[in-house]
Amino acid sequence: MERRKYPLYFSYPAVAVFLLFFIAPTLIGVYYSFTNWNINADSVKFIGFDNYAALFQEPRLGKALSNTLIFAAAVTVLQNVIGFALALVMNESIRMRNFFRTVFFMPYVIAPIIIGYVFRAIYHPEHGIVNKLLEGVGLGFMAQDWLNDPKWALFSIIITDLWKVSGFAMVIYLAGLQFIPKDLLESAAIDGANYWHRLKNIILPLIASSTTVNILLSLIGSMKVFEMVMVLTDGGPGYTTEVFYTYIRSTFSMGEMGYSTAINLVLFALVTLVGLPVLAALKKREVEM
Amino acid sequence: MRRGGKQLALYLVVLLGALVILVPFYMILVNSFKGIRESALFGMGLPSEWLFANYEKVFEQGNIVRGFKNSFLLAGLTVLCVNLFASMAAFVIQRRDDRLMRSLYLTFIIGLIVPVSIVPTIRLMDILGIKGTYFSMIMYYTAVLLPFSVFLLVGFMKQIPRELDEAAMIEGAGFFRLYFRIILPLLITVLVTVSIVVIVSVWNDFFGPFYLVTDSTKWTIVLQIFNFVSLYNTNWGVVFAFMVIVVLPVLLVYLLLQRYIIDGLTAGSVKG
Repeated sequence: MERRKYPLYFSYPAVAVFLLFFIAPTLIGVYYSFTNWNINADSVKFIGFDNYAALFQEPRLGKALSNTLIFAAAVTVLQNVIGFALALVMNESIRMRNFFRTVFFMPYVIAPIIIGYVFRAIYHPEHGIVNKLLEGVGLGFMAQDWLNDPKWALFSIIITDLWKVSGFAMVIYLAGLQFIPKDLLESAAIDGANYWHRLKNIILPLIASSTTVNILLSLIGSMKVFEMVMVLTDGGPGYTTEVFYTYIRSTFSMGEMGYSTAINLVLFALVTLVGLPVLAALKKREVEM
Repeated sequence: MRRGGKQLALYLVVLLGALVILVPFYMILVNSFKGIRESALFGMGLPSEWLFANYEKVFEQGNIVRGFKNSFLLAGLTVLCVNLFASMAAFVIQRRDDRLMRSLYLTFIIGLIVPVSIVPTIRLMDILGIKGTYFSMIMYYTAVLLPFSVFLLVGFMKQIPRELDEAAMIEGAGFFRLYFRIILPLLITVLVTVSIVVIVSVWNDFFGPFYLVTDSTKWTIVLQIFNFVSLYNTNWGVVFAFMVIVVLPVLLVYLLLQRYIIDGLTAGSVKG
């Protein structure tokens, strides 16, 4: 059947909602980032690059930028390593496999805000299970005030996020592993390829699409982290765990709407800068397939 | 023998991993039955006395039923909008596959990457005169969740042979009948996956209503727990009980429909 006969109007509802409620705010945002829009101003005035000039002089932006990048890099790498390892094991016929799969994905459906509250209890310096456990095995000297110590706060948030998202990466990798023909691996084993060889030369190339999807989703997802950080540390102590969305929230709460829109646009630029090359890689591979 | 030992070690690691995942869940549950002093210790032991009063106290807050209703309403209507709009769009995007549709697809994918401009969204809702309404929230969630859903559905559409379309057309079906009678039933696995993703995202979201809803009678359950903790966090037992109540519905949805998550993600995101 001719392709162009398929009626375009089937796409109209999706296009309309997306244009109006996603693209329009983004464009409006560009305008407002150049204004003094705030709760005290009588009228919204165009002020040129003033917001950006002020923003780039704030050390707080640097903190938000570096923390967001560290967080995103750490989560992306570790989520994929853990998720892939879990998928390899879950792809074997081990006892209670379905139970384990179900359990590993479970944190993904829990509200980040609730995960934040629970981990606040888990990291509690006095009663938290982490420190209790360390003391229990004679490593009491390693006990920390995990969320209030600038050295450990970001690390603790990263671990919390990994607890939530690793199972998701596992599922995507499991999906990819299902398409690898068993006899291909068996014949390679007969030909004398050991496990590492099979992993490097057969498994990894054949699950490339899972890897790209996973990396894309975890990179962009972790750069947009908000609720978990808000509940665990709210960017503190000081600004040591400040990320973009906690920064936006705090300037918004002070009524500086134009300014917080400018911060949002810096995040927009950052995510685009990081996300588009990964997306390009994804598109390129699709062509090859 | 050596192989057996290795297997056992591997099994123990998996078991330990599962334990790490399950302990926080156990912690929420067991502490939700403890009194004010005992629950503040965040212990792992069983309650010295099982208190169900914590749950009563949560429900006494009064607004919780309303919060539930709001969350159900938003999640339900967003599921409907996203499934309908995304599958209709995916149908023509994949079937036409021309330059226009390819750029539309790419626009959605870019929407998957870039962050929402939340503060200007408040302004937009204000301009449209729908600020703080259920309608504005449903539209916001639909817009945010469309990209991922279109991505999954286009991936899956590729596996539905065009010959089916032709056969239906020869038998005199129009495009609406083709879409509703032939295509939609074949998409059911991915539609369930999309629904799970939408339900979980809307139910658990704090970001959207925090910025867009000022009227506390329209707050979702997650916004209520935030408010609750800010006000009453001296009684952790009650807070843990509240958590159980918020987590339970999505956990049930997941446990009942989990098979579709792997199937849907496999078909939509990887094979495509």
